[in-house]
Amino acid sequence: MSLQPRGIDLIWLLLMLITLASSLLAESDTSNLFLVMVIAASVTFKGRMVIDRFMELENANPLIRSWMNAYFYVIPVLIVMVHAFPGQLAQWTRLN
Amino acid sequence: MIGAISLFSATGSRVWRDLAPDPVAGRTPGNMAIWVAIFSEMSEFAIMFIVYFLAKVHFPDTFSDGPVRLNTLAGTINTLTLLSSSYFVAKSVKSVRMNRITTATRWLWLAVAAGGVYLLVKYWEYQWNIAQGIGIDTDLFFTIYYYLTFNHFLHVGWASGALLWGIWRLKSGHYRQDDHEGLETIASYWHMIDLAWIVMFPLLYVLH
Repeated sequence: MSLQPRGIDLIWLLLMLITLASSLLAESDTSNLFLVMVIAASVTFKGRMVIDRFMELENANPLIRSWMNAYFYVIPVLIVMVHAFPGQLAQWTRLN
Repeated sequence: MIGAISLFSATGSRVWRDLAPDPVAGRTPGNMAIWVAIFSEMSEFAIMFIVYFLAKVHFPDTFSDGPVRLNTLAGTINTLTLLSSSYFVAKSVKSVRMNRITTATRWLWLAVAAGGVYLLVKYWEYQWNIAQGIGIDTDLFFTIYYYLTFNHFLHVGWASGALLWGIWRLKSGHYRQDDHEGLETIASYWHMIDLAWIVMFPLLYVLH
């Protein structure tokens, strides 16, 4: 039996590599918006893989699956927004 | 069918082999109670992440300097460890579906070991922080860092206990090929803890 692309072993390997790449990025200027977007995308990918393949929600109840997946789209979008528009967001969330 | 590495192959010669089928389409692993718990916990972490985002836009310099002062290696080791633990737990569930109870138990022991490594590394990291003069009241970034990571630390601790419970249930014959919802429940909770860390790692260690 050969390794198929959807096997969880391959996904584990990918998750390891992405984590190591993120760690290397930590040594560079991660205030750069492009790098922030790359890191946010890696959060989405890692979250989706764990949810779909390790947690086995790929074919589960659509409501549970979609809420879990939404988490890993909303949080990464917030990560990008916080870096792209910090001044504007600070102004909107000021109490006085 | 899924191709996979069999670390515990009975023959020792077949590295790649078939694995169990995925759950029936439309079926959600675990019981409904654990999904209530998982969504509650994910909401709790989401609130903490929103606090982090709000604090970051109001104190950008503090949140730019904070991650640089943390031990990135410790954060990386713990990320690799937790992701691997999730993989071990997933392998355990798949092994039970193939009626390989001994193999499933071994995968679960590996997951417990990974949880232990995570806790030890986090303890060492806290000690390292103290040696660097970093404490919970150093600045707002570290207050949030300690609140998030200690909260997560506790989750890993008690979920490791749940994994041990799963091992005992496996060994005592309570989980079988056709009846292992309890193991799926423990697995789902453990994956949730991994998911929270997937967000925490870049926020605390990577993004400046």
